[in-house]
Amino acid sequence: MELIYITLAVYGMGAATALFPKKMEMAAHYCAVLAAVFGSGALLYQSAAYLMQGSGSLLSGSWAFFTFNADRWSAVFLLITGLAGTVTSIYAWGYAKSYLGKRLRLLGGLWNAFLLSMVLVLLAADVFSFLLAWELMAVVSFLLVNHEAEKKAAHNAAYQYLVMTHIGTAAIMIAFLMIGSQAGSLDFAVLGQGVLSDNVRNAAFITAFAGFALKAGLLPLHVWLPNAHPAAPSHVSALMSGVMLKIALYGFGRFVFQFLGPTEFWWGAFVLVVGLLSAVLGALYAQMEKDIKRILAYSSVENMGIIFGAFGCGMVLMTTPRHDYALIGFLAAVVHSLNHSVMKSLLFMSAGAVMHATDSKDIEKMGGLGKLMPWTAVFTLVGSMGLSALPLTGGFVGEWLALQSFVTLAGSSEGQGLRLLGALAFVLFGLASALAVGCFVRLYGVVFLGRNRSRLVERAHESDWSMRLGMGLAAILVLLLGIVPGPVVAVLQTAVQNQQTLWRSFADMQKVWWFGSGSYAVYAPLLLLTVLSVVLLAVALMTCGDKSFVHREVTWNCGTYPTARQQYSATGFSKPLRRAFDFLLKPKRTATYLKKGNPYFGRQLEYKLSIPDQFTEKLYVPIQHYMVWSASFLRRIQQGSVRLYISYVMVAMLLVLIWGAM
Amino acid sequence: MNFLVIVLLFVVFLQTRIMDLRQAIICLSVQSAVIALACFISGIAHGEGIHIYAPGLLTIIVKVLLVPYAMLRLVSKLADERELISEINVNYSTAASAVFLVLSYLIVDKMLPGVEGRDILALSIVMILTGLTLIVMRSRAIMQMVGLITMENGIYLLGMAMTEGLPLVIEMGIFLDVLIAVMVLVILTNRLRLSFMTTDTNVLRKLKG
Repeated sequence: MELIYITLAVYGMGAATALFPKKMEMAAHYCAVLAAVFGSGALLYQSAAYLMQGSGSLLSGSWAFFTFNADRWSAVFLLITGLAGTVTSIYAWGYAKSYLGKRLRLLGGLWNAFLLSMVLVLLAADVFSFLLAWELMAVVSFLLVNHEAEKKAAHNAAYQYLVMTHIGTAAIMIAFLMIGSQAGSLDFAVLGQGVLSDNVRNAAFITAFAGFALKAGLLPLHVWLPNAHPAAPSHVSALMSGVMLKIALYGFGRFVFQFLGPTEFWWGAFVLVVGLLSAVLGALYAQMEKDIKRILAYSSVENMGIIFGAFGCGMVLMTTPRHDYALIGFLAAVVHSLNHSVMKSLLFMSAGAVMHATDSKDIEKMGGLGKLMPWTAVFTLVGSMGLSALPLTGGFVGEWLALQSFVTLAGSSEGQGLRLLGALAFVLFGLASALAVGCFVRLYGVVFLGRNRSRLVERAHESDWSMRLGMGLAAILVLLLGIVPGPVVAVLQTAVQNQQTLWRSFADMQKVWWFGSGSYAVYAPLLLLTVLSVVLLAVALMTCGDKSFVHREVTWNCGTYPTARQQYSATGFSKPLRRAFDFLLKPKRTATYLKKGNPYFGRQLEYKLSIPDQFTEKLYVPIQHYMVWSASFLRRIQQGSVRLYISYVMVAMLLVLIWGAM
Repeated sequence: MNFLVIVLLFVVFLQTRIMDLRQAIICLSVQSAVIALACFISGIAHGEGIHIYAPGLLTIIVKVLLVPYAMLRLVSKLADERELISEINVNYSTAASAVFLVLSYLIVDKMLPGVEGRDILALSIVMILTGLTLIVMRSRAIMQMVGLITMENGIYLLGMAMTEGLPLVIEMGIFLDVLIAVMVLVILTNRLRLSFMTTDTNVLRKLKG
């Protein structure tokens, strides 16, 4: 338990390295990274030990005005923070060196402060502490996104993020105040005991969900996410996507389990539908992007959608007669949170390695990197498999559980509406998964396979040991979580189980859809691994005989020699989808003729394709216009004359006096 | 006390009529002197020890002597000493004062029926509102300062009537506040005169972006 204090202290010391003198920039960097690795490792160890055998609460107490208490629900997210924090901090050892001379000390200090603030959010045990830590997290992550402030895009993205995140905080604050005013206290322990009217509960649910969905990047509040992630340094994006988005789930879970009282049916259905729509559209937009980090950012939207979809499914199940099965939905959300945080950290790290090697974010300029960066290629392949939810990787486990929760939902339904919801969930979930597979096939294929598409790739080199170590650890974790998911899931279920005692235990339900006799759906990764390796071995033995041969030839290309420009491009790969979803994506195509010659040859034309985010175009831009338009009315009373302003005060005072006398 | 109330009422009405800056400041000084007298009367009636004369003395030092002195010094630097260019007729401010007088008696009777010191309360409301009117209707910076002090006097009178003597620390605080406000305003007016060659606050409209 004391180890948590050590973690906090070490993070604090790491944050203090920002104050090192200018000459000791490298020393500051090393100290900051060591502090982050050590602190995160201690956090990981502590939370894992507690989850496995601890009882009661991890720690509770208070310091000054800050009260803290960590139960199992917090501990799961502390585990995620520790895990992702450790691997990304190891990676930062090598990666952040490229920021030497570009405020490296600040980067290291803020990195520790960011980890510290996330741990504080998870520890907070009253509204004030929570909001304070939440805001600290928002501000520190804003500063990290704004780190390369010289770039206009980074600057804009950071400010957009700041505005959006404050709107979210305001919504959460409103929710807290509504509940807190009824409970008569701001302590988390008694916050749920107030008697709330239905209207207040509904309003509190809506504002809380809006606030946390904004942080989690659910539609239509995701607009900051694909801008902020590419702007931040890669290890920061890894931590933001891997951990910060999950903290939104933590807060939302607290609201649902503790503060809001019994769940309403429509809350769950709402969360389910919003989550799954985010999953589908996130995956669709991820397919269309050419910027490697924007692809990953949209993929985060997709995965957070799946997580919230499963969580919403659990909420719906709580209101049905089979509420004892509700555990499965929440468990799916938690398991996928853990897996996604590892996988997404891994892919952001490898995106950073690729960008570091090629100085470009545009995947259309890459290709053939697999030969030059073999380690990074292998790690990326593992991460891509995980995010495509292929079996034997961690990504599959969470999505499998999510799928099973939808099966349970469909099975538990009585009314037609609920069955329809189950069917809708299946369709959306399947579509999202398929789109995700396509997205990562495209990402991996275009970046690492084929031939180089530009000269940038020629200078590419493998990353240094620390970056490979960070990525390698994450890749091993992805495989480990996929091949032996049983113990991990069994540990995580205690976190969710603790919230409501009525639920059937995981071991009890496990027969139905995990493995064992009499189950109607089985996922036994070890069995699968054995079968797969036997088959692969057999194939290898067969082809390795005398009869097999390798004959290298140039691809037939209608008689001409194929060039690099003729390979399948990223844009070309997603063309069929763009056609199929034309009505949703509304791509803007412009073809300009530079030289108009014969219609069959000698033409020169420039082709431009852009896919503007429809939510920005249709929702945010009109809102912005409306606000500017309505502000022009306010201008009429703002004439700039001091005397006029004082007369406003006078009129207000007179009115108050007269109103009081009436 | 009633006699003082009537005198003060006349002084306040006079304040709305005066257009000459120097005379307005002297009138303000007289107004503060009457307030100081009221302080002494209130102190003898309710206070004990230092509270008998401290508020009155402070009022005399700060509002009767220091503040008008600073303002008079400022006025002597100005070329045009009259509120000449006023787009709002002076009579409006007097009329507004009269309306406020009726209104404040109505308010006091409605809110606190049968209260002791009804006239003082009504008068203090009149003073606050008249001070605001002066700020709004006059464009000269000096006249606006006069309005501010009138308002301040009204608030002070209201406080005195309601509480029958505040703790000395708070009294000191209030007077320091007034002194600093006037100091800042004098400096600002001086800057205004240097930058725009006039103390007409209408020119501040140019600062609007």
